[in-house]
Amino acid sequence: MTQRVRLVVNGKKCEVAVPTTRRLIDCLRYDLGLTGTKEGCAVGVCGACTVLLDGKIVSSCLTLAVFADGREVTTVEGLADDARLHPVQQAFIDHGGFQCGICTPGQLVAAKALLDEIPHPTEDEIKDWMMGNLCRCTGYYKIIESIKQAAASPLPALSPEGRGEQ
Amino acid sequence: MSDTHFVVGKPIGRVDGPEKVTGKARYTADVLLPGFVWGKALRSPLPHAKIVRVETAKAKALPGVLAVLTAKDLPNVLVGRRMFDMPILARDRVRFIGEKVAAVAAENPETAEEALQLIEVEYEDLPAVFDPVEALRESAPILHEDPAAYAFAPQETRPHRNVQSIHHTLLGDVDAGFREADRIFEHTFTTQLAHQGYLEPHAGMVAIDNAGRVQIWTSNKMPFRLKELIAHATQLPQEKILVNLTPIGGDFGGKGSLMDIPLCYFLARATGRPVKMVMSYTEELMAGNPRHPSVITLRTGVGRDGRIVARTARAIFNGGAYAAFKPVPTVNLHGADQAGGVYRIPNIAIESICVYTNSIPCGHARAPGEPQMIFAVESHTDMIAHDLGLDPVEFRRRNLLTDGDRLANGRPLSHVKAKESLDAALEAIEWSLPRPRPFVGRGVAMSHRAIGIGESNAKLRLEEDGSLTLLTAAPDTGTGAYTMLQQVVAETLRVPPDKITVKVGDTDSFENDSGAGGSRVTHVAGQAAFQAATELRKRITKVAARFLELPEEELELREARVVAKGDRSASLSLAEVSRSAREAGVALDVSARYSATSFSSVTSFCTQAAEVEVDPETGQVKILRLVNSHDVGTVINPIGHQGQIEGGLIQGMGFAVMEEMRASDGRIETLNLGDYKIPNIKDIPPLTTVILEDAAGPGPYQAKSIGEGSISPVGAAIANAVFDACGVRITDLPLTAEKVFFALKRKGTPP
Repeated sequence: MTQRVRLVVNGKKCEVAVPTTRRLIDCLRYDLGLTGTKEGCAVGVCGACTVLLDGKIVSSCLTLAVFADGREVTTVEGLADDARLHPVQQAFIDHGGFQCGICTPGQLVAAKALLDEIPHPTEDEIKDWMMGNLCRCTGYYKIIESIKQAAASPLPALSPEGRGEQ
Repeated sequence: MSDTHFVVGKPIGRVDGPEKVTGKARYTADVLLPGFVWGKALRSPLPHAKIVRVETAKAKALPGVLAVLTAKDLPNVLVGRRMFDMPILARDRVRFIGEKVAAVAAENPETAEEALQLIEVEYEDLPAVFDPVEALRESAPILHEDPAAYAFAPQETRPHRNVQSIHHTLLGDVDAGFREADRIFEHTFTTQLAHQGYLEPHAGMVAIDNAGRVQIWTSNKMPFRLKELIAHATQLPQEKILVNLTPIGGDFGGKGSLMDIPLCYFLARATGRPVKMVMSYTEELMAGNPRHPSVITLRTGVGRDGRIVARTARAIFNGGAYAAFKPVPTVNLHGADQAGGVYRIPNIAIESICVYTNSIPCGHARAPGEPQMIFAVESHTDMIAHDLGLDPVEFRRRNLLTDGDRLANGRPLSHVKAKESLDAALEAIEWSLPRPRPFVGRGVAMSHRAIGIGESNAKLRLEEDGSLTLLTAAPDTGTGAYTMLQQVVAETLRVPPDKITVKVGDTDSFENDSGAGGSRVTHVAGQAAFQAATELRKRITKVAARFLELPEEELELREARVVAKGDRSASLSLAEVSRSAREAGVALDVSARYSATSFSSVTSFCTQAAEVEVDPETGQVKILRLVNSHDVGTVINPIGHQGQIEGGLIQGMGFAVMEEMRASDGRIETLNLGDYKIPNIKDIPPLTTVILEDAAGPGPYQAKSIGEGSISPVGAAIANAVFDACGVRITDLPLTAEKVFFALKRKGTPP
């Protein structure tokens, strides 16, 4: 059985017809071509597939595409302006927050949501928030450092036209 | 060191940073070719069985299914990374739960999965063996009739047909050494089955073009070797095969095999469409190529003066059903060679046996065999010290390697920094201070590691606009290799790093590249880039000298210009050099090949120390802090370098205290990352790292390697700390609360 799904992905309206069993991650990757979102464990443990659904963190491997009907999805592709990286993206580059990069889209989406919720998190708040995102490369120390650094940078405004000046 | 350098030693952000933080980087699973279809494999539910019958008609009839293959549709070849003992699809017999029996290609993954359910396989059970020690008994079921007959099988005499390989290392005269001993100690240690834990499961895409060329995209860190192995598996000449390099989503030793690429090829041939296969994480945990479990027995003779006079080591590694995932000529694990640890042992004999069992075939994992062996060696070291009534640090000091000492394999050492590394770690963990409270303990452990060898190539070109393009075919498993190469070229040519574009070639770009692994990339790919840059610098200087009418010796490169050393007014930009070279018909396009075939006498020492607190009620071990000190070469990029140390250490900690692929009669019980626990961000303790830089390595600017340096000692450091904290000795990894709890209970009285 297929169903039409209308959703707003990274600010853009999309409409796709998908089998009702299709997972959101497959819809993003294979129906919409947004391969930035990665599949790791497929059981909602590793966090590689993390996206925001109406601003809240979800595992797109555990979410059906039809569940996103009429809602807003933010993926890693939606974090940067055309011209400028989100501070958390820049911080991950400057502070070694990624190595192989496969968990990074999920880490970044989760970290963005953290900073939206708690602009200046403590180390414990970072750890509590980020414990659903596994990373095998970094040992996490540089992820913490990167998020702290991003928190110290001015956050972008939420509207697409008005990102904060650095 | 970095003070004397222009850009080497600077914390430059990754060249692949922007694409990796925006989701633009295309990993293998992100390669979506027009018309591609999905491949899936049916796996054996039994550990050892005859295949009586495979019925595929129903699966073939399912709409959307394009091909169903079994072993009879494939050439009768065996494959492997070195020794060819594994079928692409099981033929007549399965030897482990998870072995591939049939494969399907379908229009979408859901249909492929459905088709697998429609394949009927009739099996007839065979007796199975799962324990490597039992597999060596005379009466054990035999997995392979004649392992020595397999192509590239090592030819040492096997004591049993269930032996994949047996490797011996001998220095001195062990019997004579033991006769000198005042005391002899023997202990046995065991370690568990553990996955590399990369978060990108194995993936592959294969397309066959109209000319019959086979194009491969895969998360493989040895693409040139893969080309050779695929040529064998497909019976095609190597020229017909092209392997494209993609970013690799974590390797840690596990991404060097053929895995599903031969199946992708045969499915592509059967369907006429590109075929994509991505393993699920459950398949990874059932049939990846994880770290070998081990049983290690060490026997050590110590003289009256507390010096080690002799040692024998016997390591039995559970290799699983096939030896196909071990890449080295010995088809063994060189971590076993580390049985001497960081100690001067004049007489040492090491035997390392990899054994066939009806279990998941094991492969290489970061520092193959070494975390297992170093856990044994460094626990054994503390146990001996305790029995001798010596402080474990004092016992180590009496036996540490120094310049000129020989390793078990006979190789002499230079630039030995064992003592310095130990001192630095002890200071960092405040070893001499009293423990703050009961049930808190400290432990220390050490290892050292050779700098990897192999071959790599580089092409470097000065472009018309004065920028540079470096072409490499070294894969990046996530370590930051391309940023390292950019810095090496920038340093050599005194050009800002952002003027250098690093392009990643494919297997047509060069004759060869050894790939990533064995801690070689900074050394060999770095040296290839250094040599290319050095040659290009000469040519640039030559062109500029002619143009400026000055002798070459009076010119130097600086800030993307060629300038006269004394008189800065005479200068030429690299863009101008490029133009005048073109006008003169001189190519500013160089190639370099670097190959190291023997190990340097310089190694890297690492000491790790742990402070833990044991809850005597529950056995729970809390790691209060970790420290590690590394004796390293010139650090090229401190962000990447520290990232290797931290990542390796936390992986080692995970192996030590939490990770275990539990199995029962060959059936893995931890089939997802919820059950197979790897460290998360809340598991990491406060960490101190001390870097002891000694510009003595064989790499560019005297760099050494770091990728595998920090994974091995931490397990024994924690086990030694637990003993210090509560007096119980755990000799079986992982070191869990249950084991500590029951050991405390057996012990009875608190320490």
